[in-house]
Amino acid sequence: MGDFKTVGQQFVNFYYSTFDSGRANLAGLYRDTSMLSFEASEIMGTQAIIEKLSSLPFQKVQHRVDTMDTQPSNSQGGLMVLVTGALLVDDSTNPLHFCQVFQLLPHDGSYYVQNDVFRLNYG
Amino acid sequence: MATEAAAAPPQIPTFKLVLVGDGGTGKTTFVKRHLTGEFEKKYIATLGVEVHPLQFTTSFGTICFNVWDTAGQEKFGGLRDGYYIQGQCGIIMFDVTSRITYKNVPNWYRDLERVCEKIPIVLCGNKVDVKERKVKTGAVTFHRKKNIQYFEISAKSNYNFEKPFLWLARKLVGNPALEFVAAPALAPPEVQVDQQLMAQYEEQLKSAAAQPLPEDDDDII
Repeated sequence: MGDFKTVGQQFVNFYYSTFDSGRANLAGLYRDTSMLSFEASEIMGTQAIIEKLSSLPFQKVQHRVDTMDTQPSNSQGGLMVLVTGALLVDDSTNPLHFCQVFQLLPHDGSYYVQNDVFRLNYG
Repeated sequence: MATEAAAAPPQIPTFKLVLVGDGGTGKTTFVKRHLTGEFEKKYIATLGVEVHPLQFTTSFGTICFNVWDTAGQEKFGGLRDGYYIQGQCGIIMFDVTSRITYKNVPNWYRDLERVCEKIPIVLCGNKVDVKERKVKTGAVTFHRKKNIQYFEISAKSNYNFEKPFLWLARKLVGNPALEFVAAPALAPPEVQVDQQLMAQYEEQLKSAAAQPLPEDDDDII
């Protein structure tokens, strides 16, 4: 499974490239116990999470990761990942800053997202 | 000897205009039509806001609207209070080719009213150049319930571009006789509206205003 920093890095690369190319394809990362807080919405379970992400009313989005930090979260090999960065939606050329936290839990030789918390950073 | 007052640049009356409405209704396209505003716009990254200073020459001198436009954060969830605070007038935009954007108008109105309280507000139905309308002129009744102004516009063709600003300027200045005396430089139209169809819409607006309001307050469609 590699060391935790490598896992975190690989996860982050995969997550944002998939989000930006077709966010419905993120379904494989979640389970029915997974939780997503997305701005003011709180959602649970793969299906509801993918519905939420797919229904966001933008056609194009592009994330840029500026920082990421990873820590082991429990004795079973869980990971906490904190990402900060900026994103562009549709034709806007003005970046919006965001931060996102994931807790990844190991399962059957891989990981899934148990917790996913997303916020835009603005006043 | 010049006094300090004479040396100071003339103060242009300036008002913060809060532009709201669902993502994709054409808010950014609309505000970018005004060329000097587009040239002098500033992005405030900490707020995620682009401010366009839109100046108009009126019969009482120059007026400036600092129009606040989002960087798309409304597509992630609602806007936060910082966007509305100290707003002095507002435009709520929906897209006449998308019912859901009209259905959400009461939510935008509620948020705007909650923070700004009793500011002049214009409702704008955008994209009237598109022949396949989903929200017909006569079906737009929200403004009558709330006593706000309604205009049908087409940002891409510049149709009625000045109307919302003229109405707001009259309200803010408190003089219904105020007129715009010079046309602002606008981006060239990307589409043409059918003048006959626009005349029809204007007729429908007049006759709709004479109709009684629907009973059900929540059902605005």
